[in-house]
This record gives sequence, C-alpha cells and structure tokens, in this order.
Amino acid sequence: MKLTASSAAGSALTACANPAMLQRTNAFTSAEKTLLLHAIDAARAAGADYADGRIIRTQFEAIGTREQSITQVQSTDSFGINVRALVGGSWGFSATQNLQRDAVAAMAREAVAVARANNEVAPSQTVLAPVEVFPDARWVTPHRIDPFDVGLEEKADLLLRANAEALRVNHIRFAASSILSVKEQRLIATSEGSFVDQTYFRINPAMTITAISDDGSDFQTRGAVVEPAGRGYEYVMGLDLVANAPRWAEEAAMKLQAAPVEPGSWDLVLHPSNLWLTIHESIGHPTELDRALGYEANYAGTSFLYPPEAVLGQTRLGPDFMQFVGNRTEIGGCATTGWDDEAVPAEAWPIIEEGVFVDYQTTREQADWIAQQTGINRSHGCAYGQNWQSMPFQRMPNVSLMPGQQNLSEEDVIAATDHGIFVEGRGSYSIDQQRYNIQFAGQVFWEIKDGKKHRMLRDVAYVGRTPEFWNALDVIGGEDTYFLGASFGDAKGQPGQVNAVSHGCPVSLFRNIDILNTA
Amino acid sequence: MAQSKGLQEAQLQDISNRVLQLSQADHCRVRINSGWRGYTRVATNRITSAGGSDSISVNITSVFGNRVASVDTNRLQDEDLRQAVRRCEDMARLAPENPEYMAELGPQIYQSNQGYYQSTGELEPQDRARAAALAIEKAKAAEQIAASYMDVRAGTTAVATSGGLFASHASTGVAYTLTSRTPDGLQSGWAGDEASDWNNIESDRVAQDAVRKCRDWRKTGMEPGLYTAILEPTAVGMLMSRMRNAFNQRTADEGRSYFSRPGGGNLIGEALFDDRITITSDPGYRDAETAPFTASGEAVGRQTWINSGSLVDLSRSRFWADKQGQQPLPAPANLIMSGGDDSIAQMIASTERGVLLTRFWYIRGLNPRTISYTGLTRDGTFLIENGRISRPINNFRFNQSLVEMLQNVEMLSPAVRVAASENSSVSSPIVVPAMKVANFNLSSVSDAI
Repeated sequence: MKLTASSAAGSALTACANPAMLQRTNAFTSAEKTLLLHAIDAARAAGADYADGRIIRTQFEAIGTREQSITQVQSTDSFGINVRALVGGSWGFSATQNLQRDAVAAMAREAVAVARANNEVAPSQTVLAPVEVFPDARWVTPHRIDPFDVGLEEKADLLLRANAEALRVNHIRFAASSILSVKEQRLIATSEGSFVDQTYFRINPAMTITAISDDGSDFQTRGAVVEPAGRGYEYVMGLDLVANAPRWAEEAAMKLQAAPVEPGSWDLVLHPSNLWLTIHESIGHPTELDRALGYEANYAGTSFLYPPEAVLGQTRLGPDFMQFVGNRTEIGGCATTGWDDEAVPAEAWPIIEEGVFVDYQTTREQADWIAQQTGINRSHGCAYGQNWQSMPFQRMPNVSLMPGQQNLSEEDVIAATDHGIFVEGRGSYSIDQQRYNIQFAGQVFWEIKDGKKHRMLRDVAYVGRTPEFWNALDVIGGEDTYFLGASFGDAKGQPGQVNAVSHGCPVSLFRNIDILNTA
Repeated sequence: MAQSKGLQEAQLQDISNRVLQLSQADHCRVRINSGWRGYTRVATNRITSAGGSDSISVNITSVFGNRVASVDTNRLQDEDLRQAVRRCEDMARLAPENPEYMAELGPQIYQSNQGYYQSTGELEPQDRARAAALAIEKAKAAEQIAASYMDVRAGTTAVATSGGLFASHASTGVAYTLTSRTPDGLQSGWAGDEASDWNNIESDRVAQDAVRKCRDWRKTGMEPGLYTAILEPTAVGMLMSRMRNAFNQRTADEGRSYFSRPGGGNLIGEALFDDRITITSDPGYRDAETAPFTASGEAVGRQTWINSGSLVDLSRSRFWADKQGQQPLPAPANLIMSGGDDSIAQMIASTERGVLLTRFWYIRGLNPRTISYTGLTRDGTFLIENGRISRPINNFRFNQSLVEMLQNVEMLSPAVRVAASENSSVSSPIVVPAMKVANFNLSSVSDAI
C-alpha cells in the first residue's frame, strides 16, 4: 500500500490521548477558569467582536553539567493571563501577571483599545474559519513519567556518568550534557464558548563531546547526539546515554583524523538526525501561509511558494513517492497537541502529495485566504503563543516526510550509491529568507564507496536550491528507519517567539548534491 | 517628571530583602527584572499585531556549601516568594557539588550611568502607530507594501546578595525596522534604527531609506566570488555582534578558539588585525548604555578588547580568573567599534569593482578556529563599477572568516548604533562603522528577494 498523507494520519504515527492520563490532570482551579471568563466578558463588554484568552503557566527545569561538574540547576515558573481581541478586522493583545479581577478586566479592555486604535489607523477585514465549540476539552501529552517528578540527583547522576564514559576515550578533553524539562499548562477560552485545559510535556536531553589533538592545534566536537521530544522522562531513560557516550566520544576523536572532504558533486545519504532540520527549514517554513503572504517580510522572510493560486496543486517539489504531512497529532512530536491556541482541534493533513505542493499551514484567520484554491475552509490548527505574554499566531506543526513503501533499511539506502556521503546529526545550518539557498552541515560524515561506508570525512556542508534539492531525492528508507528530530528553538514573529516542533523522516538518498569544504 | 516604568529602587530593595530574609541557605542571590514592553507590527500595509505587557521576574539562587540551584518566578506575594525560596533550597540541597562555584560578592563599586530615557519610557501606543502609519503612507505612495516592527522596552534590573551587595539599573530601548516590497514580490528594501532614546530614532529616515532601497533594487544576475565589499553599518553590526562571543579566555586557554595559542595559552598581546581595528565595550556609552554590573553583581567598566589591531584582553569568569591567578573580567555587554572618517559615498567612489551590502540574514557559525560564519545578503545588494553603483544584483550566501575580514579592512566610516538583531528586537547595543573590505567571500547565489 502506498503510504499517503491520509493513511499516515491514521497509522501508528498518530497519537491518541490516554483517558487515564486525562483524569490525572487538574491543571487549573475553578477560580482561574472564572477569572478567564471574566476577562473574555470584559473584552466583549468593551466592544470586541470576538475575543479569546489564555491563562498559561510555563515551568522549565534545567540541569547542566560539564565533565564532573554541575554547571546549572535552574527552575523557572511563569504564570499570567492574556486576551486577544478583534475589533472590526484588527487585533489587539494585552497580557498581565497581575491576577486581581480588576487588573484582568483592565488588561482585557486594553486589548480592545489597541485593536480599536489599530483599526482606525488601517482598517482591515478578518474572517475567522468556523470551528466546533468545545466547552470542556482536556488533553495531556502522552507520557509515563512526569519529568518534574524525577529528582535532580537522578538526572545529575545520569549526566555525570555519561560524561565520565565519554572522558575515558582517548583525546576527549571535554564533555557537557544537560536535560531541559518543560511543562506548559494552558487554559484557553473563546467568546464562542470553547474552554480547553491542556498540559504539554517536552524534554530536551543534550550532550556535546570535544576532542583535542595531541599537539593542541585542532579540536573537534560531536554534539546533537539525541533529539528533544514531546514525551515524559521515560524517553530520556530509553536513550541510554551512558552506554552510547563512548561511541559518540569515539566519533569526536575520529574527526581529528578524518580526511578533508573533496568539494564537488556527491550523492548524499541523510540520516533522519540530519534530514529533519533540512525539512524544517526548506519545507516547514516555506509552507507557512502568513510567511508566503508577506506577514513575516520584515524578519523571517517570505516564501518561494507564492502566490498561492500559482503554486497550490501545481508546484512539483519532488518525486511521486514524496509525501509530506502537517501533523499536530503525532506521538512524541514537540508540536503535538489536542487543540491549538484558538481551540481548534489538532489534525493531520497533506502538505506535499505525490511530490506536488497541495496545502499550507493555517490558523482560523488564514483558512479563508486560500479556501478558493484548497476547497478547505477550516483551520489546520496551527495557532500558538510561546507564553502568557505572547500573542498567538501561525506556528509550525510537526511536518514530516513519510517513509517509503518498499521498507528499505539504512544499509539498503547506503548500498544504492557508489560515490556518496552519509551524514548524521545536525550541524551548522542556514537558508535564505525565501527558502531557496540552503547550506547545511552535520556532525559525522562517512564516505560511501561502492555501496558501503568507507572512511570518516570532515568539514562537510551540502549546498543547493530547495526545489532542485528535493527533486534530487531518489531513494527513501522504510518505516523502520523513520524517527523524529526536533527543535525547541523555532523562531518567528516580532516580538520573537519560539516554538517547539518535530520532523519525522526516513533515511533518504539525494543524487548529485554540491559539497563544500568548510575548513 | 513622570515615574519610570518597572519597579523603583525602593521596591527592588523591598523584594530583594524579603527574599534574603526568607533564605535559610548558606548564601543567597536575588536578581529582579521588571519592566514593560510594547510593540507594533505592520505587514501588508496594515497593523497586524500590537500590544504590550508588564512583567516582573525574580531569580533566586540558593547555595549550601558548593551546592547551587536557581529558581525563577513571577509570583510575588509573600507566600509565593516563600515557596520559591523553599523550592530553590530543596533543589540546592539535592544538587551535586559544583566545584566551580564562587562565593557571593559583597558590596561593589559601580560606574554610574543613566540608561533610562523618559522619551522612550513615556512612549504611547499612538506614537508607535504614527510611525507605522508613516511607513504605510510612504510605501503606498511608492506602490510598495510595508512590513515594519517597533519594539519598545523600559524597565529596571537589580541584583542583591546575602553578602550585602545591592545594585540596580534602569534602562530603555527602541528598535524600529521596516522592509518595503513591491506587490509582485520582485523588489525589497530595508532600513532600521535602534537607540535607548526615542528622540534618536529616525522614523522618517527609516521609511525613506527602505522605500528608496526597494525602488532601486530589482536584481540582475551576478556570479559568486571574492569581492571588494562595502558593508553598511547594519551589516557590519550583524557580524561583529558574533565576534563578541570569541572574546573568552577560557575557551582560548582550553584550545577551543581562534585566540588559542598553539601549544597552550592564548594570543593576548598579539597583533592580529588591521591596525585601524579598535573594539571596546562601555556600559556608559551614550545612547548605548548597559547595566554597569553582571547578573552576579560583578562591576562592569569600560574595557578595550582590540586596540589598533592587537588583542588586549579576553573575558574571564571569576572561577577561571582564580584558577589562572588573574583578575576576573566580565564579558562585553555592548560592543563599540571605532570608526574612521570616510563616508559610504567615498567608499563607493574609491571602488573600481565591488558590491554594496545592506544587511544579512540567517548567520550561523561554521568554524570557531577561524571565527567563520555563513549567512545571506538581503534587502539591497548592488554592484559597484568604476566608482559608481552600476546596477542592483542578486543576493548571495557568504562564507567568511571574521578574522580575515578584520585583516582586510580598507576604509571605515564614523560609527553609529545599529539594529543588529535578526528579529529586530531591542538587543545588546552594537555601535559600528560602515566598512570597506577586500576579498569578501560571496560563495553562492541566493534567488531570494
């Protein structure tokens, strides 16, 4: 069976909320719910045509180590309330950490006043896509162990043991590791009557190992050894950092002796630990509708996928077997949720189908902008604001490349080239503001000769132009090679906001890609 | 005079004292950030978002022996603070020992500076909307589409320790940037400004420059290669803000930096760059002020990092300084690069063949051994031939060592403060000149507009 976007949405890649976990959640008190409704009422009474609001509590816990030292033990707890109001077609936003009723009402009125002032300066039209009302919705990131229930000693012990294992390897002088745990509790209310109570868990384990040459003239690092995820602490336990640290350390040491890459044209076999970031930059960002239409022109840029009427259903970005799915339901995804910040239910939908670009990422406001082309008048549920101080806007869902139907293994894909480079781990990455010119490095590079890994290379970066790069995709691995890479730091917007997002993909082979030596 | 935004000194002291009195740890440190942020964003010739928020956050650090933990909270009632202190102390007791922990500081002597400008602190949403309206009006008149952002901040910060240290500082900042594009998406221009004092923000000049650049920049094909490049001050600032990260003695001493001396140690005292390159940091620099203390309360003063091309010093944490038997030296909080007397017009007139670059995008590190970065040109890239701008050209990716760039300097303009942050938010102040440099490596073409 061909694994299409729609079939993927119903496959094992899709999350289902665990009812037992839902019952455990009691993130917000009835007093806080009443306060949020008071804010919405105040906005409506002040003249908002529509209003939504959120009470958000964000907790971070970070523990950092280097060698056998603790460098950081930090906990952050931020709590506040916001209102976004629509007057005419213009938005206004306000937020406060003062939870007194009067202060909250004043904050809501301020949002309406800003919206009204904006509409007077530049009147606008805004059409919100219809959405079902969810008066009592709840969702929790599927997890077994709340990272905040795990003691610091246990986390520190794990990291220091991993560092110690890395430091045993010859040439390794430095080893740093950390675990960042995130818990976001969000209560969302809309003037249409939806009420959504959600808790997100995300976790970001990290390790960087540095090797120094005997004469001190060179150093090489091996980082990005594991990925962040939208999961509980059980994810970190499953990574086996201590057992794997020597292998990553050996790779750092081998980089000191690795052969410099010969610039030129090579086939590339990209491991998911590298390819996910290329997907993020060259497929994820250009398919953001607000970006394509100029809303990010002063910062994150625009998109080569413009104008919508000329590209939707028409622009070929890859071979027929290339399927990309926008997915806010994928288990383990950092952008996985039950509902978005506009109380729109999470879903999965095709973005690239059989190699052709077919849809963008949208919010309620944006769905109408392309409904004529797509025939879809619902939001894809991509609204998110970073914290209580942040106005929600369109943020990237998990955007993933579906595995191939032939179920090829990593070895099968490597065997498909005689002159190639196998790239693991994300390295330096940069792309232009319309997402054409890409330049990506990695962590570990292996020369492939006659279908087999031959020797380690160093200082490799691959460059290209997005449409040609994806059209050079020739072979992809099967579901067994598929996994999610992720970032906690997807930046967009002014004021800048960060979003956590994952991208799944199989091992993939690209033909005849330009390679630079970055030394 | 109107009261400044953010907590006043007495309020900062009150919160600090409440936390310190609650502390049962061996040592305790309190940092407070308070203030207000307002913004107005324009796209597609309309205001797409605008808003503001007040916030106060308190960071508590508790120490038992060498066991250290920190907690951030924005809940300030007595019971909230008590719980935060207890949580922090519980974490610190559980934390493994940190051998690099340095004891909390006692009272310090700080440079005095006034970084708070009432002109900025009193800015109203209507003032921001007027600047937005001006940009929209000028863009529309030129049949262009404006996308702009104004970020305004005003507030106070403080640090206090159980050793008797207390320091506070008030500051303001405004960043204003505008991208103007043609409806067909084939032309784009950018201009920006950043200041502590709203009176120094040239919103009219920003609107004119962005619209002019957009009008003039409709790309024509040009090959990549090594070019003589004239970098406008914003382009210089975006690169030099990365240079700050390299001024670190520990990474140099550990063999992980361009400033590492082969065989051990560092390159302090060596002539490394063109002798016109002088880089300092100074918390009291007018309209680019920063707090005269670090997050742990260390005093920050004026410091020269590069003097006439020679490396004068590198920053050292208190731990690393102690280990090396040296005095600590905090990292630069702003960056001031000395300029020259040449204008951009003179740079162009003196150039037989080269490029003029407006700003960069997506700058990422390539190689710390050569302080090399990659990134892309954006929003105004022009070819210079025979002393004149001959035509607009396509954008490029650059792969460039900043070391080589600072060795290849040909001309410098007077230095100005620039909006050097890629997301155009108020950032650590960067004051730099425009620069003409030889052999700037534009490595591949970017089709982006």
